[in-house]
Formats: sequence, C-alpha cells, structure tokens
Amino acid sequence: MNPVSRGIRNAFRNLTRTFSLIIILGLSIGLSLTMLVAHQAVTAKISQVKSSIGNTVSITPAGFSGFSSVNNALTTQQLEPVAKLANVTSVVESFTARLSNKNSLSTPGSKGLTNLVSPTTLNLNSRRAHFFFAGGGLSQIPTNFSLPITLLATTNPSAYNTTNLSLVSGRLINGNLDNNQAMVSQAMASKNNLKVGSTFSAYSSTLTVAGIFSGSTRAADDAVVVSLPTGQAISGQANEVTAATVYVNSLDNLSSVTSAIKSKLGSSADVVSATEQANNTVAPLNSVKSVSAYSLIGATFAGAVIILLTMVMIVRERTKEIGVIKAIGASNAKISLQFMSEAITLTILGAIVGMVLTVVAASPITHTLVSSTSGGGPNAARPNGGFVRNFAGGTSHLAFGGRGAGSFLRNNFTNIHAVVGWSTLGYGLLAAIVIALIGSAGVSFFIAKIRPAEVMRTE
Amino acid sequence: MLNVKDIKKTFRSGELTVSAVNGVSLKVDTGQFVSVIGRSGSGKSTLLSLLGALDKPTSGVIEVDGQDIAKMPDKALINYRCQTIGFVFQNYNLVPNLSAIENVMLPMEFAKVSKTERRNRAASLLDEVGLIKDKQLRRPNRLSGGEQQRVAIARALANKPKLILADEPTGNLDSQTGTMIFDLLHNLAKSQNTTIIVVTHDEVIAGKTDKTFKLADGKLVK
Ligand SMILES: Nc1ncnc2c1ncn2[C@@H]1O[C@H](COP(=O)(O)OP(=O)(O)OP(=O)(O)O)[C@@H](O)[C@H]1O
Ligand SMILES: [Mg+2]
Repeated sequence: MNPVSRGIRNAFRNLTRTFSLIIILGLSIGLSLTMLVAHQAVTAKISQVKSSIGNTVSITPAGFSGFSSVNNALTTQQLEPVAKLANVTSVVESFTARLSNKNSLSTPGSKGLTNLVSPTTLNLNSRRAHFFFAGGGLSQIPTNFSLPITLLATTNPSAYNTTNLSLVSGRLINGNLDNNQAMVSQAMASKNNLKVGSTFSAYSSTLTVAGIFSGSTRAADDAVVVSLPTGQAISGQANEVTAATVYVNSLDNLSSVTSAIKSKLGSSADVVSATEQANNTVAPLNSVKSVSAYSLIGATFAGAVIILLTMVMIVRERTKEIGVIKAIGASNAKISLQFMSEAITLTILGAIVGMVLTVVAASPITHTLVSSTSGGGPNAARPNGGFVRNFAGGTSHLAFGGRGAGSFLRNNFTNIHAVVGWSTLGYGLLAAIVIALIGSAGVSFFIAKIRPAEVMRTE
Repeated sequence: MLNVKDIKKTFRSGELTVSAVNGVSLKVDTGQFVSVIGRSGSGKSTLLSLLGALDKPTSGVIEVDGQDIAKMPDKALINYRCQTIGFVFQNYNLVPNLSAIENVMLPMEFAKVSKTERRNRAASLLDEVGLIKDKQLRRPNRLSGGEQQRVAIARALANKPKLILADEPTGNLDSQTGTMIFDLLHNLAKSQNTTIIVVTHDEVIAGKTDKTFKLADGKLVK
C-alpha cells in the first residue's frame, strides 16, 4: 500500500457517489471534448474555404436583390472600363431573368413566358420539398404547378455560377453572338422532349437548342443558358447586365482591383471580392467556432469545479481519518498525494465515459451546431431557404453573395467532418488530469488545516 | 525520559479563553507505566495531545530524552510522531477502508520501512496482540471493539516507539475485555521497556500502574 494505491481504493469507497460523480464528470468532459472536436472541424473547414478562394470579384447592381428585379441594372457600357483595368484578365457578364409558363404561379420578377416545363418535380414527402416549403403554405400549390425557369444569359456559357457545365450532346454556344441559340440541361430536355435542333419559345422569340449539358445542381437543371446578347435582345433589355464576374491575374492584386472597380462604378454597383465573399461565407462558421470555444472552456471549468467541490466534501467527511493518519506520522504532502490520486482516478473514469460520449455524439452535435447557426447567420435575412430564394428571381448568377452563398454553405457544411482522433482523446485525458490536479490542489489547503489533535475529540 | 515543565494550553472559544492545561509539570522515567486520572473536562486528553506533539503548548517545555518538542519545527514533529510515539485512542480510530494488517502497516510506510518487512512485522504484531490470521485481513467494521483495540495497539507498536500514549483505551469496552486490553499493554511495556502513559477513569486500573497523576481543572493535584 502507498498513498497512490490508497487513493485509488478510496475512489471506490462510496460506490453510489463514485458512480454519480463519474457520470457527471463524464458529461462535462464529453461536452468539452465534443466542443473541441467541433472547434477543430470548423477551424479546418474555415481554412479550407479560405484557401480555396478564387481570384475573382463579383459585381452586382447596387442594392440588387431578387425582388427589386432589374430596375437599376448595370449596362454593358458601364462595365467596359472595368475590362480595361490593369491586372484584369477577363470579365464574364450575365443577365438573369425568370421565365414562367401558364401553369406557374405569378412570380415576382418573371416577365417572360415560355412553353417549357421545369424538370423539378415536387415530391412533397421528400426532405427537399419540406425544405423548400418550410414557411410557405403547402395548400396553395396547385397540382399542375410548374416551377419558374431561370434564363441565364452569359458571355461565358461554359459555366453555370462557378460550376463548369459538361456537354452531353450538341455544342457550346458562343456567349457573344446573338443567334437565338440555347443550352438546356438533360433533365430539362427529357421533361420537354428536346433534342439538339429542337426549338422552344421564350418571350416572343423562338430559341433553338444547340447543346445539352448534364446539370450538376438542381438550379442548373432548371435553367436555360443563352448568350448575353440573345438574352438581352429577347427580353427587350438591351445592354442590361445583372451580374459580372471579374477575373484578376493574381490573388495579390485582388484588393487593388476591387477598389479600382469600386471607384469606376461608384454607388451604382456592389463590388465584392472573393475574399470578402469567403469571409461572409465563413461568418456563421466563425460563430460556431467561438460558441464551441466558449463551451469548451465552460465545460472544462465546470468539470474542475465539480471535482473540486466533491473533493472538499470528501475531505470534510474524513476529517477524523486525516487527523488519525497525521497522528501516526503522515505528512501533509503524503495525504495530499493520496487525495490527488483519488481525484485523478475519479476523473480518468469520468474521462473514459466522456470519450465514449464524444465518439458517439461529436458528429451529430457538430452538425446540429453548424446547421442551426448557419440558419441564424447572414442567411437568416432570406426567408425559408431554397425555394423562396429560387422563386425570388434573378439571383441565380450571384455566385456567392446571393443564393449562391446559401447553397454553397448548405453543400459545404454538410461536408464538415467531426473526426474524433487519438489526439482528441489524448487531450481529453490530459484535460482530466489537469482538472483533477486543480481539484486536489484546492483540497491540499483543507488537508493542511486539519489539526492532528482532532483525533482526541470523541463525537 | 519525559520532563514536562509548567506547560499551559489555552483555547479561545469566542469571548472565552479556556485553560485546558494550566501549568502542569511532571517527570516520567523510561519504561514506567503511568496513569492520568481526573474528571471529565479536567484536561487529560489535551495533556496527552501535547505530549504526543499533536498540538503545541501555549507555553512551557516538554523534554523528551533531553529534546524540547515544544520548540521543534513542523517537519521534525511529523518525524517525532512517526518514530517516537504510539497512540491508542478510546474509539480505536482505525482507517475504515484498510484491513487490520494494512492499518498496522500504515505507520511503517510513513517511517519508510520496506514493503515486505512491513507485512511481516505487522503480521507478527497482530499475532502478538492475539488477532488470528483470518481476522487480520478484515476491515475494522467487521471486527469487535476489543479486536479493533488490539489492532490499534499493534499499530501503536509498529515503529517501536519509546512512548505510548493511550487515551481511555478501555473506555468503550466491557470491564473484562478492558482488563484484557490493559494487561496486554502492560505486558508489552514490561517486555519491551516502553514508557506508557494511559488516561483512564478506572481507579482499579490506575491502581495497577507505577505512578498516577490526578488532574483537576488543568492542574495536577496530589
Ligand atoms: N479544541 C478545543 N477548543 C476549545 N476548547 C477545548 C478544545 N479542546 C479541549 N477544550 C476544552 O478544554 C477542556 C479540557 O478538555 P479535555 O478534552 O482535555 O478533557 P478530558 O479531561 O479529556 O475530558 P474527558 O474525560 O471528557 O475526555 C475542556 O473544557 C474542553 O472543553
Ligand atoms: Mg478526553
């Protein structure tokens, strides 16, 4: 027997208390580890997002949102000097509009009619439908309801938003020619029986399908891609541009180009660099990061307080016994060592419980944290997720700032992996020992205060 | 071996100061078996705790083999308690979570005796006080009062102390068991030439000792 083994044995002296203490400590250590895991996962995601920043600047009409439509759209002429700025490699200009068919609900921002029907079918039992309609009245949707179709007129038809489109048949249209050619998704083609060479109507014009691409996103599935001049011409909005993406030759020049564009366009446009966009994107992640950091500290602190108070209670309970072993020749240090070993035993057991909880709970908790926080983040201003955003019209080209940011976040946040590694568990053990040491260090003070003469008193 | 000169111990309880021991002087020779008697509250336990260095006197000198323990630093006092003194208490005061033999081994651990020697000596001490092998592995709550006091005596003897201090060691036992425990202490003292100071209420027991000090209100009366 030595102080350490006596401490370990004493840890099991009162099994009921030991059991409840281990559970409580396990919860606090588990919470603390879970927060650590969440913190690590989110930090990793933030640096991944930041490292994948493209060297682009996005330009949208000032105060542009889906509802305000294109009243204050930019013009091709306005953007001409931007293309001539130093370090600018290219400018992709686009114009987006909403097309509806006669079965569509009247949607704000949709001015044109088409004979196409959206390939997106609403399965009201699916998660997606739930998501879209969260907050919208399901009962108001007619059974033959058709979603509106996005008309994307762009100088770079090879990509939708930032996603490259891959052609499955036909050819890529030229973004600068007004020849009434269009590209549609495979889904759109099969829904409307379109082949390369087929025609469909949009506004009062007839467009010819020149290419069919495999839509990588649902938004792309719902889109018709035409050249910028075609889009401007058929909608009767010559020279209007609703969004532009400026490509800069290097990331180092991004901020100087951004300010140059700002001074060129003045208050008529919102100019946001990819860096700013990335910062906006990770803003909700940053709040998850700080929530998890505070919770980590809080839970660790709570664990330390729990073990400290328990040890104080135990020392008070064993005052007489401590007096006895002092009377037979134990030093304060030996007694403190014994209690330290008891505290460490209890917290290590708590840590094991906590680690099991962490392995089980870390991933779901991280996801809950991230999804609830991103819901309450910058996107909260946009009501009810994807459907309304889609409905709002005209925003589909806003790669990051608008709908883009929403789907970007959603897609990326589900990819956050909360990984419980050995280092995490190692940290947990270390934290437990630190907690125990803090707990028993406080107790040494009480141990030193116990007078050995106490043993002479009979209670 | 023991020379106590005019020791005083006062306790402050609120406004009041209690003089538990109020100017006691006494001498005890090596190997003597001494008893201390007196009414309840007369200061017997307090005197014993001063002699055993469980507490420091407010004033006075306690010389043990020429060394004044009243002036010893704390570290030396721990050593003194460990090596020189053996305590026996009225309510046994065994460590509840340790078996009988582990209780006896405990003071030897503090005295840095090797593990095997501890176990051997503890077993032979328990044999000596009459605790059978089977009971040596039991915890105190599974031993009778008399058996617990035997274990406590074995524990007091563990480090071969020069002085054994016993505070009413038979107080919680029936008179027959009490007499057995007392005889046990007595025989051990004689066979090993250990000095023993025992506090008791029992006049019969006090009458069997070499010397009896009577305390009243913290002072010796003759
Ligand atoms: N720690 C203390 N604080 C205050 N007063 C104390 C303390 N210890 C002892 N006393 C007082 O000192 C006096 C002597 O107490 P002590 O325990 O030495 O008596 P005793 O002779 O051993 O009595 P008993 O036979 O009942 O055990 C009592 O009045 C007691 O109240
Ligand atoms: Mg007493």
